[in-house]
Amino acid sequence: MRALKIAATGMSAQQMRVETISNNLSNMSTTGYNARRAEFADLHYQQLTRPGTISATDGTVMPTGVQLGLGVRPAAVSVQLQQGALSATGGDLDLAIEGKGYLEVTLPSGQTAYTRDGGLKRTGEGLIVTSDGFPVEPQIVIPDDARSISINASGEVYAYFADAPEAQLLGQFNMSGFANAKGLEALGSNLFVETEASGPSLVSTPGEDGLGTVRQGYLEDSSVDAVREITELIEAQRGYEMNAKVISAADQMMGATTQIR
Amino acid sequence: MENSGYTTLTRQAGLMREMRVVANNIANTATSGYRQEGLVFSEYVQAIEGASSLSMGQGNVRHTSFHQGALTQTGGTFDFAIEGEGFFLVETPAGERLTRSGAFSPNADGDLVTFDGYRVLDAGGAPVFVPPGAADVAVSADGTISSEGNPIGQIGVVRPLNAREMIREDGVMFRADEGYEPAEDARVLQRFVENSNVDSILQITRMIEVQRAYELGASFLDAEDQRLRQALKALSQ
Repeated sequence: MRALKIAATGMSAQQMRVETISNNLSNMSTTGYNARRAEFADLHYQQLTRPGTISATDGTVMPTGVQLGLGVRPAAVSVQLQQGALSATGGDLDLAIEGKGYLEVTLPSGQTAYTRDGGLKRTGEGLIVTSDGFPVEPQIVIPDDARSISINASGEVYAYFADAPEAQLLGQFNMSGFANAKGLEALGSNLFVETEASGPSLVSTPGEDGLGTVRQGYLEDSSVDAVREITELIEAQRGYEMNAKVISAADQMMGATTQIR
Repeated sequence: MENSGYTTLTRQAGLMREMRVVANNIANTATSGYRQEGLVFSEYVQAIEGASSLSMGQGNVRHTSFHQGALTQTGGTFDFAIEGEGFFLVETPAGERLTRSGAFSPNADGDLVTFDGYRVLDAGGAPVFVPPGAADVAVSADGTISSEGNPIGQIGVVRPLNAREMIREDGVMFRADEGYEPAEDARVLQRFVENSNVDSILQITRMIEVQRAYELGASFLDAEDQRLRQALKALSQ
C-alpha cells in the first residue's frame, strides 16, 4: 500500500517543520539570530499513463494521463535574512549591524568565521573579542588607561584618555558580505563559515558596498516572530495529524483487502 | 469468477490509486507552489460475445487544480509569488521547467536559483543575474528586478500552451512539451510565497469516501463469494 509510505513522508516533513519552529522559538532572544523556515518539494512522479498516450481501445489521444506522486521531501531549511529590531543597551562594546554584513572573527583553529552578534567584550589584555572569546578582525587592543571608547558607523574605534582632549584612532572593523548569505554554514554560537554556496566573503568596511553600518550601544534582536511561529506550529501539528489519518485510513483499506475471501 | 467481481475489482484498483493521490496531496500541504491533484473515474465498456456488454469503472484520468493558492508573507527579498495564471521559468539539466514555487536566492555567482540550485530564467530564456553587491532589490508586478531604482533584470512569467498535457516532475515542477508563451495577466509579488493549493478538508472527506467505498467493494466481493458458495452448495445437494 503506497499511500502508507506517502503519508509517512508527509509526517516526517511536518515533524521537520516542528523541529525548525522549536529551534526558532528557543532562539527568540538570541542576539542576531535569523529565523529559519523549512521548505518542501514533492517527490518523483510515477508516470502510469503519460499524457498524450494513444488509447489502445479506440486510438484517441489521452489528454491527461495518470501520474502518481510519491510524497514530499524536505528541500531546504532556509535562513530568513531579515534585519532584527535593535535594542539599546548602552554598552560601549555593543554593536548592531544595520544592513546585511557580518563581522569577521578568527576561531582558535585559525579558521575565519562570521557573526552578526555584536555583543563584544574585551580580554584582560584589552583585545576586543566576541562573547565566546574569539578575536574580531582586524584585532584591536584597547589600552588600559582608556577612559572611554567610541565606535562610529564605519567601524572606526576611538579611545579617549584622561590626559588628552582628542580621541585616538585604535583601528577599524571589517565588514564581510556574501553573494548568497543564505548559503553560509551555521556553526552554532551565532557563528557562520563560508561555503561553496555562499561564495567567498567580500571584505569591505562598514558603510561601503551596501553591506551596512555598525551602531554602537545597540544589539540586534532575534528576528523570530513568535506569533508567526506559533501559528506555523499549529499548522504543522494539524498537518501531521492529517497525514496520520491517511495512514489509519490506508491501514483500514489494507484490512478490508485481507478479509476478501 | 463472475463479471460482477471484475467490475468491482476495477473500481477497487482505481480507489487504491485515488488513495495514493489523496495521500500525496496531504503530504504536500506544506509544499509551496504545489498543485492539488485528483483522479477522475470513467466508465469502461467491454463488449462480450454472446452477452450484453460489461461496464466497468476505471480511475484513469488525472485532474490538476490550478487554483490560486493562498499567499504567505515571508519578508524574504527573493521570495516571489505569482498572482494569476502563470509559472516561473527554470533551467534544469533536463531542460526548461515551469514552477509556481518562488522561494529563490542568488547563488555564489549571483544567478538567481531555486532551492535545488536550478537557475531562474527571464522570458527570453537567459538566467536572471543579481549582482552580489546589489542593494534595495525590488521587484515590480511584471517581474522587473531593480536595485536602488535601476532595472537589473526581469523574471520570466510564462504560461503553457497546453496546461492539460503538462507532466509533473519532482521539485514542484512541470514539463511543458508543447511550449509556453509569456503570461501577460500574471502579477509577481515580492516577499511572498504561494502556499500549496491543497484543500485539506476536501481531501480528508474524499479520503473517508475512498476508504468507505473500498470497504464497500470488499464487502461486496465477500457477499458475492457467499452467493457463489451457496449456489454451489444448493446445486451439489
